[in-house]
Amino acid sequence: MSAGILEKLYADLNFAVFATTNNELFSCITDPPIWLKHFYPSINKGSQLTQEELPAFLQHFIFDAQDHWQRKQQGHLNSGLWVEEGPDDADWHLEATAILVDNNKLLLLSFNDKDHHSIQEKQQLMRENLLTQEKLELEVHRRTQQIRDREEEIAIRLISAAVKRDEETGAHIRRIGLYSAEMAMELGWPLSQIEDIKLAAPMHDIGKIGIPDNILQKPGRLTEAEFEIMKDHSRIGGEMLAGSGIPMLDIASSIAYYHHEKWDGSGYPEGLKGEEIPEAARIVAIVDVYDALVHKRVYKKAIPEAEALTIMEDMTQNHLDPKLFRVFLSILDRIRKIKQQNQDEDL
Amino acid sequence: MIQKKICLLGAFAVGKTSLIKRFVESIFSDKYLTTIGVKINKKALSISNQDINLMIWDLEGEDDYTEINTNYLRGAAGYILVADGTREKTLDIALSIHQLAQNVLGNIPAVLAINKADIEDQWLITPESIDNIDKNLTIIKTSAKSGDNVEALFSTLSRKMLGIEE
Repeated sequence: MSAGILEKLYADLNFAVFATTNNELFSCITDPPIWLKHFYPSINKGSQLTQEELPAFLQHFIFDAQDHWQRKQQGHLNSGLWVEEGPDDADWHLEATAILVDNNKLLLLSFNDKDHHSIQEKQQLMRENLLTQEKLELEVHRRTQQIRDREEEIAIRLISAAVKRDEETGAHIRRIGLYSAEMAMELGWPLSQIEDIKLAAPMHDIGKIGIPDNILQKPGRLTEAEFEIMKDHSRIGGEMLAGSGIPMLDIASSIAYYHHEKWDGSGYPEGLKGEEIPEAARIVAIVDVYDALVHKRVYKKAIPEAEALTIMEDMTQNHLDPKLFRVFLSILDRIRKIKQQNQDEDL
Repeated sequence: MIQKKICLLGAFAVGKTSLIKRFVESIFSDKYLTTIGVKINKKALSISNQDINLMIWDLEGEDDYTEINTNYLRGAAGYILVADGTREKTLDIALSIHQLAQNVLGNIPAVLAINKADIEDQWLITPESIDNIDKNLTIIKTSAKSGDNVEALFSTLSRKMLGIEE
């Protein structure tokens, strides 16, 4: 291809082409396009620019270009777009390309405002869409939170109704939810279900609302018959909370119904065994036992944590899920923090 | 005069260009105009009787499809990470870019600007998440719109680069 054809090609493509031998002086080997005259008014074909005279971005790119030339790499190296101030403060997008042709180190500078404007417009549109998407996601999150807050309020009111007749404290109820959420998080539950169990777990004993006062508030030991009635609280609670179609209440129902099942199948109401027992109910069984042991009640003293954990370890023989108990032990520092931050006010 | 290259890094639309425009030209526009590629601005400062010429590299913001070209970081003496206080995830993006920049540049001076301080009541970046940030990273709440702390942002980084104690 003749030099004349190449010259015409460069001019049509609006390229300025520089050649360098020592990487310090850059000779303009084409007729400079008009846009280049904006930066170098007196530049002509054959003019030389020192590296310091190049735009700051290009001075930076020369390091990469030198590396490209030195390695005698095939193909070309693009600088990526950069912006220089054109006439009337307009942003001009430029791009440089380093290329080695027959051992000639060439630097092609291009300016194609039309193409770059089109790139900018597309990018602008895409990013505005991303911003809109972010705003919509935020709004969905806000609305979901509103629904969640309402669910929480309803749950708290339901729980309050049950707690008023029982010995359990408000702090205990709150802790059960927080402990359970930590366990669910450690087990890798989806975020929505972690939020659900936080609200659902405190409702595990809500069925006690259906147990007569003379049994629920009896100071001494329950007779066998009374205990049979007491056991019915899990069925009552499970049925109370069932059938709403609301995921949080569905979990709450399952927990209320099955939280007295035991690992070896000796629990109630259905005598489920091992992993037949829903995981949420197995979680609540563990955290409920822990919290009851390490806190004092009007009818019992608090047990030191180490002793409580030994008791719970024994309970993994027949009552508690041994694997989940190990998970519980692995997050004990987080459990302790919740315990510390949610102390009983009334004891 | 000492010349230092600094880079502004962060997610898209957090106000990197606006902070530079406010600092260099004392102007602000509410209209979001995305940056394509790189734009270099210059500004001379005098810090404790030392003159310093800042070469401020405004790099195209990061989004789901565009990552920072780490070649552009080469030679930087410091960098400013920018997050938008009203967009929570821009803080995570700024902190992940911080990691990337540290891998490329080592432990050079850096400052985190949490922008849009003029509407702090609408921030979704919480005080707790700010508290959890590495204490070695200086955090400055800025507003390109009102100009609050914009000078302080650049002068804080300049002081760090010059090794001048605050």
